[in-house]
Amino acid sequence: MSKLTLNGRTVCFAEGETLLDIASRQGLEIPTLCHDPRLEPAGACRSCLVEVDGERLMTPACARVAQAGMVVMTENERIDRHRQTLMALYMTDHPHEREVSEVGSPDLLLDMAAEFDAPMDWGWMEPMRGDREDRNPYVDFNPDTCIACARCVRYCEEVEGVSAITLAGRGSHTTISTVEEKSLLDTTCELCGGCIDVCPTGAMNEKLPLMRGQKPERELVKVRSTCNFCGVGCQFDLNVDLEGRDGKGQIVKVTSPPPGTTTNDGNLCVKGRFAYDFVHHNDRLTQPLVRGEDGVLYPTTWEDALERAAEGLLGVVERHGADALGFVSSSRCTMEENFLVQKMARALFRANHVHQCAAT
Amino acid sequence: MAGLVETFGAGAMTNSIGEIRDADFLFVIGSNTSEAHPIIAMEMKRAVRKGATLVVADPRAIWMTSIAKKHLQLNPGTDVWLLNAMAHVIVAEDLINREFIENQTENFKQVKEAVASYTPEKAEQITGISADDIRWTARQYATTEKAGIYYTLGITEHAHGTDNVYALANLVLMTGHLGKPSTGMNPLRGQNNVQGANDAGATPMFFPGYQRVDDPEVRVKYEKSWGVPLSPVPGLNLNEMMKTVGEQMRGFFVMGEDIVLSEPNVLELEKGLNNVDFIVMQDAFMNETARFADVILPAAVFAEKEGTFTNSERRIQRVRKAVEPPGEALPDWEILVMLANKMGANWSYKDPAEVYAEMVKDVPQFAGISHEKLEKIDAGEEGIAGLQWPCPDADHPGTKFLHEDGILRGKGLFMPVHYIPPAELPDEDYGLFLSTGRTLYHYNAATQTRRESGLDAKQSEAFVELHPSDARKRGVHHGDMVEVTTRRGSVQLRAILSRQVRPGCIWMPLHFAEARANVLTNDVGDAVTGTAEYKVCAAEVRLVESMPDNEAFFPGSYYYEKGPGLHVDD
Repeated sequence: MSKLTLNGRTVCFAEGETLLDIASRQGLEIPTLCHDPRLEPAGACRSCLVEVDGERLMTPACARVAQAGMVVMTENERIDRHRQTLMALYMTDHPHEREVSEVGSPDLLLDMAAEFDAPMDWGWMEPMRGDREDRNPYVDFNPDTCIACARCVRYCEEVEGVSAITLAGRGSHTTISTVEEKSLLDTTCELCGGCIDVCPTGAMNEKLPLMRGQKPERELVKVRSTCNFCGVGCQFDLNVDLEGRDGKGQIVKVTSPPPGTTTNDGNLCVKGRFAYDFVHHNDRLTQPLVRGEDGVLYPTTWEDALERAAEGLLGVVERHGADALGFVSSSRCTMEENFLVQKMARALFRANHVHQCAAT
Repeated sequence: MAGLVETFGAGAMTNSIGEIRDADFLFVIGSNTSEAHPIIAMEMKRAVRKGATLVVADPRAIWMTSIAKKHLQLNPGTDVWLLNAMAHVIVAEDLINREFIENQTENFKQVKEAVASYTPEKAEQITGISADDIRWTARQYATTEKAGIYYTLGITEHAHGTDNVYALANLVLMTGHLGKPSTGMNPLRGQNNVQGANDAGATPMFFPGYQRVDDPEVRVKYEKSWGVPLSPVPGLNLNEMMKTVGEQMRGFFVMGEDIVLSEPNVLELEKGLNNVDFIVMQDAFMNETARFADVILPAAVFAEKEGTFTNSERRIQRVRKAVEPPGEALPDWEILVMLANKMGANWSYKDPAEVYAEMVKDVPQFAGISHEKLEKIDAGEEGIAGLQWPCPDADHPGTKFLHEDGILRGKGLFMPVHYIPPAELPDEDYGLFLSTGRTLYHYNAATQTRRESGLDAKQSEAFVELHPSDARKRGVHHGDMVEVTTRRGSVQLRAILSRQVRPGCIWMPLHFAEARANVLTNDVGDAVTGTAEYKVCAAEVRLVESMPDNEAFFPGSYYYEKGPGLHVDD
C-alpha cells in the first residue's frame, strides 16, 4: 500500500486508484458530472479539479491516478473559485429555470450552480447545439440542456458496446448525434436507455412521459423492486405518480439504482427500462369470470368464482382421483406464491403433480 | 437443473454475475446472451474489453460472436460431440486437474473411457467444427485459471438436454474450475423467478430446497410441518402432464402461464384440453389458455404486490408494491390462500413475509433469509442488494460462489454420456433444421411486451430467418410471406434472408401469437427433466406470396441490418 496526503491527512491507496476513488472512500465530496464508475475516466466536465502540490494547473480527480507521496487538496479557496467560475460559464448557455431544464430527469447542473453560489449573470448565449428528428419511441434528446460531457456516448460504447451515438459538430455546436443523423431505430442502438440514465443534466429523457405530459422525476416516488422479465434479477426504481389513476398510483417511468449497489450495476435493458405499459393496460383482467352453461364467460363476484373453482377442482378429484389434477405454477410469480401452489397440491390433494412453467 | 443437482449437489449458477467481468476465458454455449440476458452480456463485454477470451458455441451467429475470439458454429444438436471431444483433448493432452479429481470427484474413469472414442477429427465430421478449433478451445479452457462456462436453453431444451449438462459438468470437474471466483458452471435463467420457483418446490420431484419427495426423512419432516399425510410418489412433470391432458389429467389449476401459447405440439394439446373436466386459470391477462378455462381469477402483476424473486445467481431480492391493482384484481398469494381455504384448508397467512418464514423453516440452506433481513440489507450502504443462498443462519452473509469448501454433493459426480441425435432430423420431406428462441425486444408469450408501443415499433411482426442459399432453392426473397411446416403443423410469416443461420437451418422467435412457434415444435421431452426439444426439429419452407414492400421489411433481426457483409439478397 502506498501513501499520499489528502487535505492534510495521510491516507493509503492501492495501485491504479484515482484521486477521486481515494477521496470518495474517505467520505470527501468532489463534484462530478461526466464521471461514471463504469467508464474510463474522461476528465471532460472539469468540475472535479483538485490541487496537487508542485503543479501549476489543477488536475481532474476522476482521471488522475494517485502516486505515492502526492500532496492533494480537494477543498480550498482556489478550488471554490474554480467551481464557481466553471458553473457560471456553464450557465451562460444553459436554461436557468427548472421548468425549462427539468421536464423529466433531474438537472444536476442547476443543483451544482446553486450549491457553489455561481453568478448567473455572466451573459447569455443562445444554445447552438444541433438537434435531429428521431421517430424512436423511447429516447428524447434536448440539445439545449446538454453540456456535451459525452457520458452517454461513452456509456453506449464502453458498457452497452453498440456505439450507436456519437459526439458531432465542433465548439459550441458540439452535440450528440448518430451516424448520418439517423433515427436510433435505424442504428445499432438496442434501446437500453443507458444514455438517459447517465445524463447528468436531464438532456436525455424518456420520451413517452414527456409526450403524455406526466410529472417530472422529482415529483415522483421511487419504489425499489425487481424486474419481472429475465433471470438476471435487475433492481430498479418504479417511479410512481401517487395521484395517478385516481389515487391508485401510476408508474411513469423506471430508473436504475446507482452503479455498484445492485447486481445489475446500474444497468438496464430495453425491456427492463421501458416495457411497463402492460401494468396499466386496458386489457388487464379486472373481475373474476366464470363460464356459463352457454359456454360464454361471465363476470362474477370473488365469492362465487372461488366457490366454483373449489367445487370444480374437488369434483375432478372425486370423480378421477388426485392423480387427475395438475398444478401448473409460474416462474413469473413470487417465491411465496410458488410455495403456496406446491403446498396446495401436496397438502390438500396428497399428490406431487405440480410443476412450474419453465422447467429445465 | 436436475443435471446440476445430480453432479454438483445444487441446481443453480455456481458463481455470481458480478464475477463475470474478472473472468479470463468465457465459454458461452447455447446462449444468445445479448438478446436473452442483456445485462449479463454487458458483464461479458466488460470482460472482453479487459482482455478476456470469449468463445461462443452456437449454430447461429449472434451478436456475441461479433466480439468472440472464436465462433464454434456447430450443427444443431451435436453439443455432446463437441463437449466430449473437448474432454477427449483435455484427457489426451493431460490437462486435467489431477488433485481436484482425486480429492473432490468420483467416477472419472468412466468418463475417461467414454470420451476416448470422441476424437476431434471425428467430431469435426459430425459437428462441423474444425478439429483445430476444438483442440484450441479445450486447451484454452483447461489452462486458463479463471475460465467459466455460461449456458441457457440452447443446452437444455433438447430431448437429450440433461446429457448436454452432464457433458459440460464433466469438463468443469476434470479441470477443477469450480469453487473459485469467475469460474464454474453457470446456467443463465430465462425467467425472473425460474430459480425461485424451483427453490420453492414447484417441481414434481422436490419439496422446497431440492429435498426429494421420495426421501422418507424429508417426507416425515413435511408431514409434521403441515400436519397431513403426503405422497411419496414423484409427480408428473409439465411435459408429462401436457401429454396426458384429457386422459389421466382431467383438471388443472394454471397460474401465470399460457400453456396453449407456450407448450410444444400445441394442436395435439388443444385436442386434449377439450376433454378436460375443469380448468381454473389465474392470470393478469386473457390468453390462449382462457379459451379452455372454466373459472378465470384476475391477478395482480409484480408491481402491485409484495414478495421475492430469486435470480440466476441464487440471489433472493424483494419485489415491492408500487401501485394498486386495477379493478378487483388481487395478488396471487391472496387468491391462493382464499382458494385453499375454500377447499378445506385453514391457512391464515397475513403477508408474504409469513409465507417466506414458513418456507425457510424446513430448508436448511435458506434458513437465514427473511424479508426483514432483506429490508435491512437493501437499506444499508454496503454491498449488493439481496442475499444469495446458501444462507443457513441469520448472521450468514450469503454465498457468492458455491462449492468453495468442497462440492456440496460431497463428491462431484462424473457422468459419462454418449451422443444421441435429436429426436427428429431433416429428411426428404422436411429438409431444414428449425430452431426457436427469444429476441431482445420481446419476452416469451409477449402478453407484456406486445402491449408496449415502443417495442412493437422495433419488432412488430413475426419472422423466420432463412439462409440465402436455402431461400434461392425455394424461390424465396427477403420479406416474402412463407409457410413453415413441420409434422405437427404450419404457420405463415415473413422471411428474412440472413447468414446468421447456417445453410440448412432456419430460426424463428417464439413470441408471436399469429405465428406460434409451438405449433411446430416437437413435444418429445428430456428423459430426466421433461423439458421439450424446442431447439431442434425438422421443417420445410415454401413461398406463399411475394411481398411488394419487401425491401423495407426489417423487423429487427440483428444481423440483417448490422452484420458486416451480411446484408444479403443473393
